[in-house]
Amino acid sequence: MRIGMFFREALRSIRANAAISVAATVTALIAVFILGAFIPSFMYVRSAVDAQTAKVDVDVYIADTATVPQVNALREKLDGLRTDGTVAAVTYVSKDDALRIMKERLRDPSVLDELPSNPLPAKFNVQPTEAENADVIVAAVTNDPALDPTEGIVYPESTADRLLTAAKFVQWAGFVLIGILLLAAVLLIGNTIRLSIFARRREVEVMRLVGATNWFIRWPFMIEGVICGLVGAVVAVGMLWGIKVGVVDAWAAGADTALTKTGSAAGTIAFPLLTVVLVGAGALLGAVGSGITLRRFLKV
Amino acid sequence: MSDGPDSGRPTFTLVEVPDTTPVDPDMAPMFSAPVQDGKRRKGDIFRPGPGPMVEFRNVVKTYDGNSRGLDGVSLGIGTGEFVFLVGPSGSGKSTFIRLIIRELRPTSGSVTVGGRDLGELRRSKVPYLRRAIGCVFQDFRLLPDRTAAENVAYALQVTGHSQKEVRRRVPEILSLVGLDDKFDRLPRELSGGEQQRVSIARALVNHPRLLIADEPTGNLDPETSLGIMDLLLRINRTGTTVLVATHDQHTVDRMQMRVIALEAGRVVRDEESAGYHEDTGEVLA
Ligand SMILES: Nc1ncnc2c1ncn2[C@@H]1O[C@H](COP(=O)(O)OP(=O)(O)OP(=O)(O)O)[C@@H](O)[C@H]1O
Ligand SMILES: [Mg+2]
Repeated sequence: MRIGMFFREALRSIRANAAISVAATVTALIAVFILGAFIPSFMYVRSAVDAQTAKVDVDVYIADTATVPQVNALREKLDGLRTDGTVAAVTYVSKDDALRIMKERLRDPSVLDELPSNPLPAKFNVQPTEAENADVIVAAVTNDPALDPTEGIVYPESTADRLLTAAKFVQWAGFVLIGILLLAAVLLIGNTIRLSIFARRREVEVMRLVGATNWFIRWPFMIEGVICGLVGAVVAVGMLWGIKVGVVDAWAAGADTALTKTGSAAGTIAFPLLTVVLVGAGALLGAVGSGITLRRFLKV
Repeated sequence: MSDGPDSGRPTFTLVEVPDTTPVDPDMAPMFSAPVQDGKRRKGDIFRPGPGPMVEFRNVVKTYDGNSRGLDGVSLGIGTGEFVFLVGPSGSGKSTFIRLIIRELRPTSGSVTVGGRDLGELRRSKVPYLRRAIGCVFQDFRLLPDRTAAENVAYALQVTGHSQKEVRRRVPEILSLVGLDDKFDRLPRELSGGEQQRVSIARALVNHPRLLIADEPTGNLDPETSLGIMDLLLRINRTGTTVLVATHDQHTVDRMQMRVIALEAGRVVRDEESAGYHEDTGEVLA
């Protein structure tokens, strides 16, 4: 019942201060729109980088001369790394497998038939849980007696490093940007509502003088902020949806399919989830904006 | 004015409410003694006791820039009293009142209301102090974008009254001050005197234990003034303490109540059953 009254109060104050309410709503709309355009882009780039770093695997080649106990020892060492969480998976690729894979890759596999024996060494393909762990794996197996003396350990050292740096940069830049955006949105909404409250400072003073508690005064303002935030967010989501359907999806469909297929590991946030996040952000922006701003006016 | 001077002021006749069992305090006659059953007065912060309703001890109030509001006032107002506060413009009457509702805090000295030292009252308790006090402000202090009825309703909503109760009480109290046909007017659509009466209605609607009125008849014609004073007196008879700041010499002289006279922030006279001016034998105009 009281909630109903606060709600009515909020609606009346939106009506009574239409211009300011519209300004707050538009502010929320812009903030949520920018956020909504940024989050999927950021997540796409991140997931693309992740997909690349996931490919940083370590090949540990086994000497043809290695004895069975030596190979087993190496396998146990790698399994040990898996139990402590450094390694996600270890796959054994035998000499025959290696040859088969090689044949599949070659345009003219017949060249291999001319070889007197299989020159390819067997290997363990090691997938680190994190790209950074490649170093640990390499350190653990260097000097292992079972290692193939010529091939040794192969991993894309420089690529991994570069990808890691890029991934970290994208991640931090993303967090900083989102932080700045959110702060800007809160300040903007706060400022808009401050204008509204400033206009009604005398009114708030009178409310205090007839015995209204701070929360009694605050609730309608917060609800007002939430309503403006929600409306702004919903409109922004609608606009984003239009852009997604009209521009992004169309572009993705027209883009080189081969390219999208190879990059298929990279995805982004699902639109329904994004909608929930953005609408929630809009409501929160409104509530926090008005809540913070109101504090200074409730001291009478 | 809606109430013509020849109408015999029917608008001020107390609404006759039949006596009912005091089980539901809200069914009690409009201005029965303030209900003490603890339910409706749940937020009441006044401490029961034999002490005075209002007590000032050496109160000095200096505004920014050295302007003196009050300059060492000590006095008490007993529970159930009817007191006039008089004095020339700028003598500190409004300052005195604003200290009681803690709109202001004294520069030094202490103000006690209903047994509570306002200097020690936490900020979060101030709303409850103000609910126990009904205050008619000199400048009305109505909410500008609410109608007369909504302004009065706000004071009821603040204290958590139901919508039903609000609908019942608001028209009742507005009729009592003679505003039957102006419920839906905004303050700017009302005359000064009408706004003043909305302010009075708002102060009364919560059945305050202490009723303070700063110039309640300042904008009213003599007939309406008389009606309002009559109403305040009736409310006082139900046990409510009433404090009225006024320049209205006729009313003060006619009613012969306690008079506290201020001058330049000091109490220069405090007499029971007195008139506006000190009785020096001179003939009053
Ligand atoms: N906010 C303020 N800032 C500075 N001085 C003030 C303020 N309010 C009141 N004063 C001064 O304090 C003194 C007492 O003012 P107060 O309003 O209490 O007088 P009053 O008796 O109510 O006068 P009136 O009959 O005209 O309403 C006056 O000299 C006034 O100028
Ligand atoms: Mg005054």
